Amino acid sequence: MNLQKDYKENFSLREMRKEGQTTIFVVIAIVIVVAGILVYLFVPGVKSVFRGDISPNSFIRDCVENEVASGIEFLAKQGGYADPEGFVLYKGNKVKYLCYNAQYFLPCKVQQPLIKRHFERELEQLIEAKADSCVQELRADYESQGFSVTGVQDSSVNVEIIPGSVRIVVDAPMTISNNEQTQRFRSFDISFESEIYDLLLIATSIVDFESTYGDTTTDLYYAFYPNLVIEKEKKTDGTTIYGVEDVTTGEKFVFASRSLAWPGGYGLSG
Amino acid sequence: MVNHKIISLVLLGVLVAGLLAINNFGQVVTGQTDTGGGEIVGTLESVVCCEKTNSGMFCQDVPASDCASDRQPPTSCDETRFCKVGWCFDSKEGTCLNSPQITCDEDGGTWTENKPAVCELGCCTLDDQASFVSLTRCKALSGYAGIETNWDPSITDEVQCILAAGSKEKGACVYDEDFTRTCKFTTRENCNENVLGGGVLGTQEQDLTGTGEGTPDLLPNADGGAQPSADTDTDTTDGTDTGTTAVAFLPVVSAQDSGERPLPAGCQVSAQGVFFCPGKLCTAEELETNCAQTRNTICKDGKEEVYYVDTCGNPANIYDSNKVNDDAYWANIVNKEDSCGAGTSNENSQSCGNCNYLQGSYCREASEIQPVYGDNICQSLNCVGSDGRGRLHGESWCVYDGGSNGAPGSRAYRQLCVNGEVRVEACADFRQEKCIEDSSGGISQAACRVNRWQDCTAQSEQPECENSDKRDCKWLEGIENIFLGSILNGTSVDTNSLGGIRERAQQQGGLDSLPTGGCVPEIPPGLDFESDESVGICAQANAVCPVTFKKGLLSDWECSEHCECLPGGEAEQQRINLCTSVADCGPKTNFVGQRGSGPGYETTQDELENDK
Repeated sequence: MNLQKDYKENFSLREMRKEGQTTIFVVIAIVIVVAGILVYLFVPGVKSVFRGDISPNSFIRDCVENEVASGIEFLAKQGGYADPEGFVLYKGNKVKYLCYNAQYFLPCKVQQPLIKRHFERELEQLIEAKADSCVQELRADYESQGFSVTGVQDSSVNVEIIPGSVRIVVDAPMTISNNEQTQRFRSFDISFESEIYDLLLIATSIVDFESTYGDTTTDLYYAFYPNLVIEKEKKTDGTTIYGVEDVTTGEKFVFASRSLAWPGGYGLSG
Repeated sequence: MVNHKIISLVLLGVLVAGLLAINNFGQVVTGQTDTGGGEIVGTLESVVCCEKTNSGMFCQDVPASDCASDRQPPTSCDETRFCKVGWCFDSKEGTCLNSPQITCDEDGGTWTENKPAVCELGCCTLDDQASFVSLTRCKALSGYAGIETNWDPSITDEVQCILAAGSKEKGACVYDEDFTRTCKFTTRENCNENVLGGGVLGTQEQDLTGTGEGTPDLLPNADGGAQPSADTDTDTTDGTDTGTTAVAFLPVVSAQDSGERPLPAGCQVSAQGVFFCPGKLCTAEELETNCAQTRNTICKDGKEEVYYVDTCGNPANIYDSNKVNDDAYWANIVNKEDSCGAGTSNENSQSCGNCNYLQGSYCREASEIQPVYGDNICQSLNCVGSDGRGRLHGESWCVYDGGSNGAPGSRAYRQLCVNGEVRVEACADFRQEKCIEDSSGGISQAACRVNRWQDCTAQSEQPECENSDKRDCKWLEGIENIFLGSILNGTSVDTNSLGGIRERAQQQGGLDSLPTGGCVPEIPPGLDFESDESVGICAQANAVCPVTFKKGLLSDWECSEHCECLPGGEAEQQRINLCTSVADCGPKTNFVGQRGSGPGYETTQDELENDK
């Protein structure tokens, strides 16, 4: 009987201790949660981090990302021109002649020696409107959270194509402030991975060959660029359409050339 | 006495070389292409130098009617100032291109008539790689790679340049960072005080938002430039603004710390607090760095092999699954020749990453076949041709439409194996190019080369005709194959008729002074069926052959001379062969097997004399 009594007492003591521990844990958990909520509500920085809504670079990046990607793809299909003059229609795209000679038997004359630079300018124009609207959206977003935003006038975009990426700098000076802090931004600097740099420089090299020798042998490039594929399609009128592709990313730059064109026969009667 | 009435009838046999079923050919070449605006000029049109044509092309010699700009002097563009071809220098990228002045100026290039000094080439060393480029280009490349510019103008040969880079000594570059000994695997030249900063380009990122993004200026210095956001322009040698962004290198190591630890054997101090251990990997135990062994692999830029990678991100030795736990293999550099599967391609090998680009394998992310460790594998770049024959990456060979006999509409193609796929490159249309192929060591190489057929028919002697240094022609022996027509006036027939040649030769005492055959293209060229010129080219094979008929008192008219020239005779067949050998002339079947809609030639008969 004593044994039974002791057991019951011990059992109830153990149960009581367990319940007490549980209560303590629950109280501690409640305190932590409440403290977290208080911090979230009353410490602005933490609130911003949690909500992720004051991350201007990410905001601008997410906002323009599709525009940049589609812009690069679109320009790359047309020799770096959105609306080219002097083109050949190929698979529904206006492919710019980067090198051309209207005459037979002669090497082409370079139509665009600064292919990369021109591509950058074209991309800037393509994404400028979107970037500006993204800046306005960012401003509206800040204002909806009670911030005062000043200084946002016209934004401008600068595109720089470098090895491995495309860098977009959106110049949009703005000052964002509330009662506790002020932030001033001069520009938003974002990068997108892309191998278009290599493709543009290879296109420049091909144009150099075409204008100097009248043709290009693609084998040379395969020796140095294992990830490269160059499609070369010669048309009846002497046009050659080049497609320079990076097999690892699938990016492709297409352009046209008419160099050392051969007529049927002697070409005497045009 | 037999009373003979001799009547000479002359058969005028003109073999008119016709163009075959031309509508059928056009269907094949159009494909998915349609031309846009480019002008095309024949050789006989009078042209001006047009600054900008109606279709938007710059500096073209076109007829005045095709020119959109006011500047259109009646001279060649090479003679003008604005369209003269010179050197266009891109001061940002450092590239130099032959270009007309106007196209260079339009997008901000720097044009000079003669090659500028900034376009001179030298050897640019980029870590363990090299590029034979101009100084400005070398600066740009070095900047992108985040390493110091190393340009040597004394190396004037690209091969030497590449060899010089390959001989760079590599090893572990050990230094302290945040009170931790760490390491970077690099060359001796790049193991210096800048090893930590690495010259990495990019913006200095500071953000009040706590997101670590953006390039804000801190107040109260934010007056639009008081607090730099790392936009520091650099100047090129010619003073032009490159507009690149640079960041100052960070301090590397504290002086007191560098002196506390003994230098591992074989290592040398390369800068304050930095030492270089040639031949060592960063995971070598004796270096006591925080870089540890892993089971991961990487593909390195510009390298064909799969490499192990350590926890610091440094490449180690070539991937070999049998040595994943081999401390010695993780301590010292092992040459490619001494690594697993040396000398073979190791394509799709799960255990060895010693890929060989020349043998058709290259490091790529694994897809179908997974390696034992890591995510990369020596992917096969080789192909199987349409004939079922295995082809190596980079191998090329010739293919022809409908054989190589020059069927109308056909052209030559060069097929090549690239990155596991067979690609097709067409040679110029109208068979103005032919495909040539050679084989060395079982590997074939093909190229499109100009078909030099143009002056074949002008050759009257076999040796000159078959001089392969000058032209691509073949000789058809026999006086029946002599060309009698004229190119420039296709409708006329030379006075030396086929029958007359024999008689003239007999009168002159032999054939020595006359051609003994005809010279025709090896591969007959195609003709532009919309061009009048085609008729002239084919008409070279026209011929007149007088045939004499006699009639006796008791007999009917019988052929007595040049009977081979009668319709259906031997001469007609020979002339047809000659005709089809010239170009797209005569009765032919096109490359898709369709015969021409007409006979392709014509014989006419006329009576020259009737001596009754």
